[in-house]
Amino acid sequence: MHIDGFEILSDPTRRLVVEALRHGEQQVSDIVAQAGIHQSGVSRHLRILHEAGFVARRPDGQRRLYRLQAAPFRELDAWLAPYRGLWEARLDRFGAALEKRRKARGITHKEKRT
Amino acid sequence: MSRNGSAAAASALRPKVVIERTYRARLEELWELWTTKEGFESWWGPEGFRVEVHALEARVGGTLHYDMIAHASEQVAAMRRMGRPTSHQTRASFVELRPHARLAITHVIDFLPGVKPYDSTMVVEFFPSGDSVRMVVTLDPMHTEEFTKMSTMGLASQLTKLDRRFATGRG
Repeated sequence: MHIDGFEILSDPTRRLVVEALRHGEQQVSDIVAQAGIHQSGVSRHLRILHEAGFVARRPDGQRRLYRLQAAPFRELDAWLAPYRGLWEARLDRFGAALEKRRKARGITHKEKRT
Repeated sequence: MSRNGSAAAASALRPKVVIERTYRARLEELWELWTTKEGFESWWGPEGFRVEVHALEARVGGTLHYDMIAHASEQVAAMRRMGRPTSHQTRASFVELRPHARLAITHVIDFLPGVKPYDSTMVVEFFPSGDSVRMVVTLDPMHTEEFTKMSTMGLASQLTKLDRRFATGRG
């Protein structure tokens, strides 16, 4: 169940670490600077994120570089997909209702998705 | 990082679902579909359901009361199978309303057996540009009717836990 992914991201500090990594691969000190959290905290959260598959790491000389992994985020997205689908359908109907009213008033238009 | 900064970041990262569409129409026409009885009834779903609006007062604090009625045979059968009525009285209100710009509707989610009633708010924003209007709907999937319906299909306990975690947000 993908709920585990939500549990992992339910920690605000971990979300800050994830935010910092959205800018690309980084070493711990860069994440510390961006997230404004103590290094020991960042390391601990990176370990948890790594174990949960959210973050991959690789050595680069003396440094360790961390980067986000797409798979767990895709899983979270897939979990939300049916819900999103309900609303997509609802907004389809919104567009259709709009179109119908416009036709009744003698105006036509096309909806475009963004 | 200050506590406030952390809280703001946490809030920004809350799993909101944002759905947007651009419609080639006048802003007033979109607005009518949210704020008039016949407008609202013409599209508000979900699929297989129709709504009958009993009260719609488009003002801050105004009520929005409607029945959500299963009308497609499949939905009627599904509701019967679950031992649920095919029509549900829904209570909501307009908690924000800036004409032709932004509105927020809070629904009272009070139909889940064993779950204390709670509020679910959605925000709708309108951004006109040329002959089109971009409509942005922001939903908190942890607090919406559809999601709670999904939760009745076996996810309820996890979601309640998750809700608490998001609500308390530790740093």
